[in-house]
Amino acid sequence: MAHISIKDVSKSYGALQVLKPFSLEVEDGEFLVLVGPSGCGKSTMLKILAGLEPASDGQIFIGDREVTDLAPGDRDIAMVFQNYALYPHLTVRQNIGFGLKMRGMSATDIEARVQTAAKTLAVDAYLDRKPKDLSGGQRQRVALGRAIVREPRAFLMDEPLSNLDAKLRVHMRAEISALHKRVGVTTVYVTHDQVEAMTMADRVVIMRNGEIQQIAAPDVLFQRPDNLFVASFIGSPGMNLLRAKVQNGTVEIFGQRVAVAATVEDGTPVIAGLRPEYLQLGTGAVSFTVRPSLVESLGSEKYVYFDGGQQAFIHGDDADENSKGLIARVSHSGGLAEGEELTLSFNPEDLHLFDAKTERAIRS
Amino acid sequence: MKRTPLQSLVLYAAVVLAVVLILFPVYWLLVTALSTTAELTVLPPNFWPEVPQVQTFSRVWAERPIPTWLLNSTLAALGSVSLSMVISVLAGYALSRFSVRGSQSMGIFILTAKMLPATLLVIPLFAIFRQIGLIGSLWSLVIAHSTLIIPFTTWMLKGYFDTIPRELEQAAMVDGCSPLGAMFRVVLPISTPGLAATSLYAFVLSWADYAYARTFLVNAPESWTANLGITTMRGEYTTEWNEVAAAAVFVAIPIMLIYIFLERYLVGGLTAGAEK
Repeated sequence: MAHISIKDVSKSYGALQVLKPFSLEVEDGEFLVLVGPSGCGKSTMLKILAGLEPASDGQIFIGDREVTDLAPGDRDIAMVFQNYALYPHLTVRQNIGFGLKMRGMSATDIEARVQTAAKTLAVDAYLDRKPKDLSGGQRQRVALGRAIVREPRAFLMDEPLSNLDAKLRVHMRAEISALHKRVGVTTVYVTHDQVEAMTMADRVVIMRNGEIQQIAAPDVLFQRPDNLFVASFIGSPGMNLLRAKVQNGTVEIFGQRVAVAATVEDGTPVIAGLRPEYLQLGTGAVSFTVRPSLVESLGSEKYVYFDGGQQAFIHGDDADENSKGLIARVSHSGGLAEGEELTLSFNPEDLHLFDAKTERAIRS
Repeated sequence: MKRTPLQSLVLYAAVVLAVVLILFPVYWLLVTALSTTAELTVLPPNFWPEVPQVQTFSRVWAERPIPTWLLNSTLAALGSVSLSMVISVLAGYALSRFSVRGSQSMGIFILTAKMLPATLLVIPLFAIFRQIGLIGSLWSLVIAHSTLIIPFTTWMLKGYFDTIPRELEQAAMVDGCSPLGAMFRVVLPISTPGLAATSLYAFVLSWADYAYARTFLVNAPESWTANLGITTMRGEYTTEWNEVAAAAVFVAIPIMLIYIFLERYLVGGLTAGAEK
C-alpha cells in the first residue's frame, strides 16, 4: 500500500491540452474516484498514472518513489480495464498468474497465490476455463483477481463496471467496495457514473475539460458544490437552476422573495440552485404553486416536472437532461395528476447561489 | 428473409455452376494424367480414360527430379514466408499501433508495389541480383517473392491487429511486459488466424511463381522450382502431356494439404477483420 502524489501533471497533444496542470494527493488506502463527462481527461490521467501514456509535464510519486518515467510494469500497480482485457488465449489460471510469471515467481508460489486470489473472488471453480467461456460478471472478477494477486501498492480501475448490465453493476459495485475494505489497497477509480462515484468513494475528484472542478467527500459534493458544473453534475435528477438578481439580500424564486444567507451586492446576477430532493409537497417556509407537465412514478416517490418559465437556467452540459423542465422529487405514493395545480415548498437554507458570470458558488 | 423455391433453385444452380467451373481444370488435370498420349489427341475428347494409367505417376516421379523441384519450391516458399512474416508482422503492428504522420498515404504507397506487374520488377531485380551474385540461387527467389508479398501481408496484418483491443497490450505492460514482450506474449498468440491466413497467402504466391524463377534460375537446373521444372518437360517436337499433368498433380498436392490443414484458421483470419 502507498500514497500517491500527483504534482502538476499535464498532457498535451500538440497544441491541444487535454489535461491542465493537475495536482492530487491520494492517501494510503484511500478509495478515490475520478468522475466527469466523456472527454474530461479522467482516463488520460489514469493512463498517465499507470505509465501507459507519458505526461507532458509534472511528477508522479507512488509511495516515496518517483515513477514519472518508469515503465508500467515497474510501478508496482495493477489495473482493471473497462473491457476486462483478459488474455483470450490463456486460461483463467494463466490470466491471474501472468503478472507473477512476468516477475519471475516460481510455479509453486504462483499457483498458491492464484488459488488464494481465485478463492477471494469466487472464481476458483473456473480456473481451467478460457475467458470466452465466462459470463460478464465472472470475467470482471477474473480481471480483479489478476489485479489483487500481485499485491500491488495501488489499484487503478478504468470504468470497470460499464460493460455490465444494471443489476450486475450494482452487485459488482458492492463487491469492489468490499474487496477494497478487505485488502485496503490505495485505489484510483475512473467512472463517468456519478452513482458509482458517490457510493464507492472516500473522496471524489470531479473533472471537466481537463481540469479539476472539486475534490471532496461524496456528501460534501452534494451539499456544498463549488461551482455550477459540480452542482448540476452531482445528484440525480440534477439540481434545478434559476436565473435571479439579488435585491436587498433577497432573490426572487418562483414569484417569492427569498432571503439569501450570503452577502451579495444588489443587482448582481446569480444562478439559484435547488435540489429536487429539497422540494416538498404542501406548504412550508417558501411555498408556491405549479402545474406539473409530467409526473413520473417510481413507486414510493415521484418526479414532478414543471415549467420554470423564463427564470429556468439550463447548464450547457445538461441541455438534454433539463429539457423536461424543473423537477421536484417528492415522497408520495398516491396519485398526482399532470396539469393539476399543486403546492410545493422549500427551505431557504437549501438554496445554493452561484455567480452567473464565474459560475462559482457564493457562500456566506 | 426466407427464400422462395425458385430463388433457392437459382441459387443452388449458380453454386453448382461455380463449383463446376472451379473444379473442371482440376478434374481435367487428373484425366490428362491418367490417359495415354493417344487418348489425349482424340476428338471428341474422352472424359475418363478407358484404362487409367496410374503408372504415369510413378514413371514421372522416377524419371524426373520431381522431389528436388518440390524441395526447391518448398525452400523458396518457406524462406519467402519467413522473411515476409518477420518484416510484415513488425511493420503491420507498427502501422496499427503508432500514429505515424502520413500513415494513410504510406498504405497506398505500400500497395503500389503490389499493383506493378511482375515483369516490370523482374528487370531491375535481375540487374541487382547479378551484381550481388544471387542469380541461380534460391535466395534470389526468396528476396524477389518477399518484395511482392510484404506490401500485401503488411496491410492484411495491420487490419488484423486493428481488431485487437489495445487494452490487452496495456494490461500486459502493467503486468510487467515490455512493449515488444506484450506483442510476442499476447498479440501474436491471439493473432494466429491472421498469421495463418497471411502466411498461406505468402506461401501460395511464392509456390505459384514462374516468371521470377524462369528469369533468375533458368541456367541452374539444381535450383529449379517445381513450376519451372514442369515447363522444361515440354519437348522440342512432342510433349507428353500426361506426364506434365502427373507432375502438376504432384505440385498441387502440397498446397492442397496446406489448405486443408489451415482451413479453419484461414476462414477465421479472413472474417476477423470484418468485426469492427
